[in-house]
Amino acid sequence: MTASSEPIESGVTVVERAVVLAKHLHARPAGQVAQAAARHPGTTIELVAGGKRANARSVLAVMGLGAVDGSQVLVTVAGLEAEAVSDEIVEILCRPED
Amino acid sequence: MVGIVLISHSSGLAEGAAELVGQIAAGARVVAAGGTDDGRLGTSTERIDEAISAADTGDGVLLIPDLGSSVLSALSLLADLDPQDEGKRVRLADAPFLEGAVAAAVAASAGLDLATVAHAAEEARHDRKL
Repeated sequence: MTASSEPIESGVTVVERAVVLAKHLHARPAGQVAQAAARHPGTTIELVAGGKRANARSVLAVMGLGAVDGSQVLVTVAGLEAEAVSDEIVEILCRPED
Repeated sequence: MVGIVLISHSSGLAEGAAELVGQIAAGARVVAAGGTDDGRLGTSTERIDEAISAADTGDGVLLIPDLGSSVLSALSLLADLDPQDEGKRVRLADAPFLEGAVAAAVAASAGLDLATVAHAAEEARHDRKL
């Protein structure tokens, strides 16, 4: 996993993390990612996998990435509490199958 | 939390969709209103009305119909609600049935309001599977 963060202005940060999926990013984890995104309206979360891009707020777009176990996903989080929000998203992606 | 009512001609379809949606959007309040009172394919305003009561916690209810008479039954029921009371809290989504339900339930489970939940359902028509 790699991480970088860069402050834009006070309190607003962009965090990028590359993670290797611990499971297929199918319906249930996509729902968990979108629920987490919905809980943080002041933060923009984008996932990129295999050349496709999805706003994490859209559960259907996240499923539409078609990202499978072992593939790399780039998570970009911008806004308030970007560090903490990126931790939350990475934890969901790296958690083994329920 | 905004409640969601899935209206289908088939009780199996409505209940199966509600079960799947509940798995994807844990914590959401999703109620099935499928089939007729005597267990046939069709829609029943009584069943929809009961489902609205079961889904309503005071934050509003979004109705998601499958096709045809599901839409008409929901519209006729909405026309009978008091516009100053329940009518304000119940909305009908123009959305794909399952995809709209999943998107709406994720938004609802995060505590978003009725207008935002309805918008999430309606935006679902734009998301591609491939």
